[in-house]
Amino acid sequence: MKERTSPTDRRDFLQQSLLGTAGAGIAIASSAHVTAAEIPDAAEPEITQEVDVLVVGGGTAGIIAAIQAGRSGAKTLLIERNAQLGGTTTTGGVAFPGLFDAWGKQVIAGIGWELVKECVELDGGKLPNFAKVPQRHWMNQVHINQFLYALLAEEKCAEAGVQIACYEFPGSLTATGSGWQVDCVGFGTRRRVLCQQIIDCTGGAEVAGMAGFERLHEDERQPGSYLFKLGKPHEPAATQLHRLYVHGADSTNSRTVTEANLTGRKAILAKLRKDKQRLMHLQPETGFRESFRIVGETMITVNDYTSGRLFEDAISNAFYPVDLHTKSGVKPKPLKPGTVPTIPLRALVPKGSRNILVAGRCLSSDRLANSGLRVQASCMGMGQAAGVAAALAAKSGTTPLEVPLAEIRQTLRDHGQIVPGKA
Amino acid sequence: MITGRLSREKPEHYRHVKKPNLGSLRRRFTSLFTGLTFLVLAVTGVLAFLRPFSLSLVGLHALVGFLFIVLVGLHVTNNRRPLKGYLHSRSLWVTLTLTVLIAVVIWQRPAPVRALMGLSANLGPAQERFEMSEGEMVFQYAPDPSYRMQLTIKTGPAYNIATPPRVAIWLENQGAYHIKTLLVPEASAAGTLPYWSFKREGWEKAKREAEEEANIDAVSAATPNGSFDPADYILPADPDNPMPYRLLIEIDQTGDSHGSVEDQASLVYSVEIDNASPQTFQLLDLVGYPQQEEDRDGKEAWALYYVDEGFGSALDLIDSALLTIDRSE
Repeated sequence: MKERTSPTDRRDFLQQSLLGTAGAGIAIASSAHVTAAEIPDAAEPEITQEVDVLVVGGGTAGIIAAIQAGRSGAKTLLIERNAQLGGTTTTGGVAFPGLFDAWGKQVIAGIGWELVKECVELDGGKLPNFAKVPQRHWMNQVHINQFLYALLAEEKCAEAGVQIACYEFPGSLTATGSGWQVDCVGFGTRRRVLCQQIIDCTGGAEVAGMAGFERLHEDERQPGSYLFKLGKPHEPAATQLHRLYVHGADSTNSRTVTEANLTGRKAILAKLRKDKQRLMHLQPETGFRESFRIVGETMITVNDYTSGRLFEDAISNAFYPVDLHTKSGVKPKPLKPGTVPTIPLRALVPKGSRNILVAGRCLSSDRLANSGLRVQASCMGMGQAAGVAAALAAKSGTTPLEVPLAEIRQTLRDHGQIVPGKA
Repeated sequence: MITGRLSREKPEHYRHVKKPNLGSLRRRFTSLFTGLTFLVLAVTGVLAFLRPFSLSLVGLHALVGFLFIVLVGLHVTNNRRPLKGYLHSRSLWVTLTLTVLIAVVIWQRPAPVRALMGLSANLGPAQERFEMSEGEMVFQYAPDPSYRMQLTIKTGPAYNIATPPRVAIWLENQGAYHIKTLLVPEASAAGTLPYWSFKREGWEKAKREAEEEANIDAVSAATPNGSFDPADYILPADPDNPMPYRLLIEIDQTGDSHGSVEDQASLVYSVEIDNASPQTFQLLDLVGYPQQEEDRDGKEAWALYYVDEGFGSALDLIDSALLTIDRSE
């Protein structure tokens, strides 16, 4: 292993100890302390609450869905199993969302772009010039500071009136006359949520599966990526992390996620011993690419995707090559110039369901189409559309498919999103 | 008294030297003529290999070659008896086999032969052919008999054969690095084509640096997108794991104004070729136009930008560009 900086001698040790103590003292005396609000009945493990929209999964799509639902006036609860929002972007460390543009024009905007843009600007970064032809498809991905992104996501949720519940996940759910009863479990918390609409942004359509709706799952999945940095320090949004493919990675449940994480971290430990380098950065979780996806009211096929089919109920654009990762790597299949795939609302609705939507990579699509649809900007677009549809459905007491499409599209435009086609 | 014929004995040192039998005048003439025409053929052959194509040189070589064939025929007739002896020699079969083998190998043009031909200022360019007519521009490139590429550029309404546009054709790997120029644009007072020139210079620099560092892998290994050898992309050693590559053209009409623009920039078209999913016909797509900028290190760079309203007739220089790859033997 490489030597760290010169060994600390007794004098240095004393100096550093003193400075450290003094520094801590100054920090405590100035601004580095805050007080968390008291949680009513915090000692009570069982709580019940009613909301209009429950968003499960505070990742790429879930944040946007929740903020949109909140901004549309719906009482919204966002449940996240981890400690922070952002999912793949923050916990997984894939902090370069894209693609927001295609062929010289922005095709995905709205809340996702607002968040990403603000993150870059606050971080002193630079946004890509969409007029410039990217030499490779990933060049217009926006490099962001993952830590800042998580903070901004929380702030925007709070501003939209979205309640965040971390460390929780649904344990069971039951359909009620007007929606759902969802029993969530966290450590020291059992939360019963009565809601009109659910937006499942778990990545693997876990809630839809729990409700008994049909899902698809491949025997062999695309590898996950465990991100870390050896040797040199990692500067967020400026330097690249190292990547380890975790084959077989599956985000189906806590057991499969644990297995993928342990496998990835074990390999990283072996690598740093072999390379004799310091570990400078380590994400807490594998970035997953594939698990379950729903069978929806319609399914986006790879032909729909590569031909840029304009669905009659298209509510969002998507853009990325067909990008299936395998054991031998990945050979992205770029889309033909001018092609911009679209996402129909029906691909977000589990077949035969009434008050549940999905958003994110678990949308109804065949595997090859999904390999292009799963990327962050597209998931953000789906999240915002699902947020609008769920909020409007809750408001009018109907189902998302019964909300007039024109109303969904107009609301999306009002919130800065680009809606496919001229309708 | 001396009787008999006058002795005309030669000096001692001549005594044992047998006068060569040069045969009849016809034989002498044929042999000398054959030898001299061979000399012409040899000199013109070497020059035709070393120098760019010259009608005089290749014409001389070809026509003297016909004369040589006639003379060799006469030479064989004159010497049919000793030559017959060769027919019963074992060496005949060895030399015959060797000759057939050499002919077949050269005819098939495997990589080493192509490399040798590539050294020729005449044969090298002949492996690639560019023809321009009023209706189309056709570029042919056959790196292998089983891999023949033809790019047919159908000209558009803004094309004028009297003042043809400058065209560059080159290949890039997936990393957008130039790997081979197929057609160098005609020299012009307007300078070179900027994007092609920038890409080629970058490639030459990278290759030079790699060679200086003696990084053999970087220079020759068929590592994904790390190779400088076009063959690794066009005809990979491992056909089961080919690397996609792109063919690009840059086209520019000097002084073509449009609106307030005095001279429209060149335009770049491209197509991806993936030997894992072979397609015979592929149309090239318009990518954009080059614009000078600075890279992260403040150095001059050229990037492509999507075409905007600043373009008019430049878009009509070509109607379409079709790439045909014939992979049959």
